[in-house]
Amino acid sequence: MTPEIDYLDWIGRLDSAVLEVFEMMLARSCAPTEKTDSVSRPISARILFSGAIDGEFVLFASRPVAQVTAEFLLGSVSDPDDPMVEDAMGELCNMIAGGWKSKLKTEQAACAISPPTISIPENIETSLGAESGFHRFYSFEGNVFGVQMLL
Amino acid sequence: MRALIIDDSAVMRKVVERALQQSGIDLTEVVQASNGEEALEALRADAASPEKIRLIVSDINMPVMDGLQFLEARRDQNLATGVPVVMITTEGSEPFVLRAIAAGAKGYICKPFTPEQVKARVIPLLEAV
Repeated sequence: MTPEIDYLDWIGRLDSAVLEVFEMMLARSCAPTEKTDSVSRPISARILFSGAIDGEFVLFASRPVAQVTAEFLLGSVSDPDDPMVEDAMGELCNMIAGGWKSKLKTEQAACAISPPTISIPENIETSLGAESGFHRFYSFEGNVFGVQMLL
Repeated sequence: MRALIIDDSAVMRKVVERALQQSGIDLTEVVQASNGEEALEALRADAASPEKIRLIVSDINMPVMDGLQFLEARRDQNLATGVPVVMITTEGSEPFVLRAIAAGAKGYICKPFTPEQVKARVIPLLEAV
């Protein structure tokens, strides 16, 4: 049963978690952004929350942005279809979700998170209009990716 | 120096290896394992190696055998018990840390981390051996 939600508070904590992961693990500045363009060739990493919060935490990006992100994380060049790109998306999702959870209020943080699973959706936009939850876009060096929480 | 890095993510094994190198640790070889069972096998093989593993860095959440189970099995099987183990995890909560320390871990690092944090945790452990 998900407790009463203060979305603004959650989004603020999510911003903090995303920025922290990018600064510490990728040595890159990252900031929230408005995003209207479609995400081409999307790749998404998904983590399930269960307990005080029941929901899906999704990190998504286009394949080229996922590739750039993997390169910054690994410190080496990768191929867009390298399996390390998907692995990197899963690890980033894991770190952001874990960081966000650790920043929640104690009563909300009492939940388990699953290992990340990777999927290649045909179109990520269709799920962004979900009634329950929120999504947020971020940009680093012109590369845009999104985070979505489905409740 | 030989090090054993245990993580089900190949990306994280590479990230940890890079962080150790950036910490100034001269890695001559990195032995990789994707779960605790593979790590135990690597430690058994290490017994016959002329240059021993001197550092173990392990994730906690892994399939097959997780990091806590690995620590307990390593202790029970008396495998490389003098080698310092540092746990790396997103689960920095007290119960996990206490269980890891009780099972023989010498330190832990929460993801996300910086190379400086890795250095601060790992170097004193290597100097103390």
